[in-house]
Amino acid sequence: MANPSNRPIGKSGWGRTLGAAAVSIVYFFPVLYIILTAFKTRQDALAWPVKFIFTPTLENFVSVFYRTTVEGGAAEATGFGLYFFNSMFIGGTSVLLALIIGTAAAYGFSRFPLRGNETYLFMILTTRMMPPIIAIIPIFVLFRIFGLSGTYVGIIALYTAFNLPFSIWMVKSFFDDLDRDIEDAARMDGSSEFRLFRKICLPQVYAGLAATFVFAVILTWNEFVFALLLTGTQTRTVPVQIVRTIGGAIGVDWGLLSALETLFIIPVVLVTFALQNQLLRGVTFGTIRR
Amino acid sequence: MQGLKLGIAAAAVTAGVLLGGAVTATPAQAKDIVINMAAPDWLPTRFMQEEFNRTYKAKSGNSVKLVIDFIPWPSFYQRVAASLSSGEKKYQMIVTDSQWMGDFVEGGHYLKLNKYIEADPELQATLADMHQVLKDTASSYPATSQNFYGFPQFPDNLVTFFRTDLFCNAGERAAFKAKFSKTLPCYYNEWEQVDWDTWGNIGEFFHRKKGEKLGAGTADDEFYGVAFQAGKGYDFSSMQINTLVWDYGGGIWDETKTAPAAGVVNSPIAVKAMEKYLDLLKWAPPVAKTGQMDIFVIQDLYMQGKVAAIVDWVGLAGPVVNPKVSKVSDVTAFAQSPGARKEDGSISRWANIGGQPFVLTTWNNDEVVHEALDVVKWWLSKPTQVNFAKAGGQSGMLSVINDPAYMTYAPWNRAFVDNYQWQKDVWHIPEFFPLLTQQQEQFDKAITGQITAKQALDAVAAYQDKTLKEAGRIK
Amino acid sequence: MTSPPSSQTAPASPPAAPPARSARGFFGWMLAPERRGPLLVAPAIATLVIVNLFPLMWSYGLSFFSYNAKYLKRPPSWVGLGNFIDLFSDVDVWERFQNTALIVIGSVFLQLIIGFLLALLFSTEFPLRRYLLMLVLAPMMLSLSAVGVFFKLFYEPTLGFIPRLVQEFTGEPFVILSTPTKATIAIVCADAWMWSPFVMLLVLAGLVSVPKYLYEAAEIDRAGAWRRFRTITFPYIKSLLLLALLFRTIETFKIFDVVYVLTEGGPGSSTETISVYLFRVAFNYFQTGRASALGYITLFAVIVLTSLYLYAINTRRAEPG
Repeated sequence: MANPSNRPIGKSGWGRTLGAAAVSIVYFFPVLYIILTAFKTRQDALAWPVKFIFTPTLENFVSVFYRTTVEGGAAEATGFGLYFFNSMFIGGTSVLLALIIGTAAAYGFSRFPLRGNETYLFMILTTRMMPPIIAIIPIFVLFRIFGLSGTYVGIIALYTAFNLPFSIWMVKSFFDDLDRDIEDAARMDGSSEFRLFRKICLPQVYAGLAATFVFAVILTWNEFVFALLLTGTQTRTVPVQIVRTIGGAIGVDWGLLSALETLFIIPVVLVTFALQNQLLRGVTFGTIRR
Repeated sequence: MQGLKLGIAAAAVTAGVLLGGAVTATPAQAKDIVINMAAPDWLPTRFMQEEFNRTYKAKSGNSVKLVIDFIPWPSFYQRVAASLSSGEKKYQMIVTDSQWMGDFVEGGHYLKLNKYIEADPELQATLADMHQVLKDTASSYPATSQNFYGFPQFPDNLVTFFRTDLFCNAGERAAFKAKFSKTLPCYYNEWEQVDWDTWGNIGEFFHRKKGEKLGAGTADDEFYGVAFQAGKGYDFSSMQINTLVWDYGGGIWDETKTAPAAGVVNSPIAVKAMEKYLDLLKWAPPVAKTGQMDIFVIQDLYMQGKVAAIVDWVGLAGPVVNPKVSKVSDVTAFAQSPGARKEDGSISRWANIGGQPFVLTTWNNDEVVHEALDVVKWWLSKPTQVNFAKAGGQSGMLSVINDPAYMTYAPWNRAFVDNYQWQKDVWHIPEFFPLLTQQQEQFDKAITGQITAKQALDAVAAYQDKTLKEAGRIK
Repeated sequence: MTSPPSSQTAPASPPAAPPARSARGFFGWMLAPERRGPLLVAPAIATLVIVNLFPLMWSYGLSFFSYNAKYLKRPPSWVGLGNFIDLFSDVDVWERFQNTALIVIGSVFLQLIIGFLLALLFSTEFPLRRYLLMLVLAPMMLSLSAVGVFFKLFYEPTLGFIPRLVQEFTGEPFVILSTPTKATIAIVCADAWMWSPFVMLLVLAGLVSVPKYLYEAAEIDRAGAWRRFRTITFPYIKSLLLLALLFRTIETFKIFDVVYVLTEGGPGSSTETISVYLFRVAFNYFQTGRASALGYITLFAVIVLTSLYLYAINTRRAEPG
């Protein structure tokens, strides 16, 4: 798991830091702008010139969860807690399932190649590369027939399959990286194949599995099209709700929207930092390692 | 470790099954009835939920719960269409745009209510009290027939929102008079004389650069005269363009006849009306040029104090007078929306009706149907409707709107009631969404200056004839 | 989890052991070495067949029918190749492919340039590098629909900061999404902002793989910076640039969320990409059969691009270094 893809090749001093900082901050500005807007009042949010110094307010974050919609009425729960839970629960469960099935398959593809191994892998990658919209029509009809629309089972099953190609390719790339000499030596010592997998190969890719898990969760966390059409009231996820919030009752409430986005992206930004060394592999579905 | 992982996964799946099951469950016990209703997320439906929770007691003695699924506007149709065609049978009631009626009646999703109405004198009384326009546009399918499917959850129409600090400013009024030899409308009766030409004058007049004088002060930013809907999404330009076409004496395809659309949709009058609409857009804020100036954008621009007057749905007026979200809450008044001046000098003020009926779905047992109809009666009863109107809602019940007190409930009620006599509606046929989508795209091309009004309407007429012929609605 | 616990204590079978009917019966037979591969991949293949392949075959079937998924009781009617013929002769469809192509070309080109420059900037070690890198890499990990929403606000002509900034200099309102060209550029910018870090990562990987001794040798030769780049660095990153190009082409070809949120395909239909159009045909026009046919055409394009991509991957692996 070493061999970080973005390892630098030389050394520079603080001069480079300054230049890079300027570029990075400009590059990050759109995200920063949203985060700042989330802490502004409705009056400040759209003020021009952009206010960088202002009295921060948490009112937008409060209204993500509770807001008064009828004048004089009590603040009501917006259901956002549920949508966050859904995003985490649906994402977590489906990725866990995909990872279990995918790890087995990846080990198989890596250590016991089938006839036509490459073809299988190609087809698996294709299912990940194709626009999800192609599959959505029959899946939609299928969901209707089995009564899965709006249920957790339906969307989790769908996301499991959605994450499976990614998991297989990612985990396979980690297995492929392992030093085969260790396995051969263990085999000589009379280890069973299962023991080999369980005690030798698997522990070596734990970090890789964790990276795969987090990546897949982010992909699922961000998914919009399936969620838009196939989740119900109780199973709705955050991206759907974000897009829906654009046309609220009181114009476009940019402060509220920004607060939503901020809550939604902060975990992702933090994870990105933690996973820096695995990013390349993650974003190319394990097809490129270095 | 592995066993544990599997265990967790299995538990998660089981939990999913249980939760999923609970969601789709229909009320099993006679005493507990849950009515799930799909509705757009805005004040009229939010109020309904609050009022229901506060006051509703089922006459049957059952414990009835109304659970509204608040769906924000932009994805409302797609979400309801997805739910209905996915067969999840999630909703017992649906707040529906009037255009959807044919689509979902033919799809087998909306329940025909005639037999229940015949058996229930109270419902007959409710129906009799409804404004005729709403019976025609919000209740029946085919439109104006005697097949009843819905009741108005919220009737809506287009009114003018304007800034009294500008329109009633003596200096501005004098300047306007000097420039156009017309009165700058300030009072309600002055607005009754505003036609689309004057609307254009207003747009030109109040377009100010940053730093120029505006009312009693100066414009702190670029300021615009008028705005009205011109957005690509959903029906966010058709509603306003239809309005002008009717005002000038044109028409859209008449679904009660089996005549083709060509010659009606793209008649010279319709083309002229649409050209007028496009011409007026030059006084609107620059977002008009993007084809994204929808009903929420103009509301927001108005509340941000960027524009002097807008034409928008009454349903979006509430926030405009709320000081917490609106910078112009204390200087806003309402009037009828402009019209076209006829040869005799009177003004034709036809407009596309808005608002939503609510309907029952076809998969409920009799008990649920009766409880749902009781909810309908409760909602349309005078006390509920009066409370609703006081909270900023509108009513379609004659006994409520004809009561002089109604005018005092909200500043826009006079314009709203006066508009009733001027309402028409778009097609209700099942093909409405393809028709609307194609029309919105053509209108958007015209709004963004890629094609002319004539080209847009020709394309719309051709597509409509093709679609209507394929559907067997014209010969 | 595909082996029963008993196999843990079972004596090891040497890799070349005869599969035969050992004393362990059915499990023994199933766990024989030559069946290990199939057994391990079976659950994955089964899942994919049920949830992906089966719906795809179904949609393949539907593409020969005229069908509206909204009407439960109306059966599909056979139209043969009608949907395909219709699609290929429809100027609207060609326009959507053209829109998609313009966005793909513009965006991928911009991503390659910005990504490359960013990679050069971050190619050496300097203080705080890891933290600054986080800022640059973040956009790539955001949700596509969230990015669409961001840029919708940034581009709003009266309230967004980009038009207002421009207006400060020109004095004229700056309306970004008003013409087909400008709207396309706006989408390209949003997409390129999001995905340039991806190209950066790949190029960085390429820069890392250049052996140090080559640079040392070049220093002795006193080779100029440009020559050093052309003869030493570039050969090591060119295969990765090609991969970036292909990968981003496939992904951008699918662009949906950003367009759907930002322009809804407008003005008119000038930024409606093939994915957005497909969505409209399927869920606005509810022409399920036609949408399936269009889906298949799109799938074919993706399969071709994916093969090219894997071919490039394998070529790169075969190369030394």
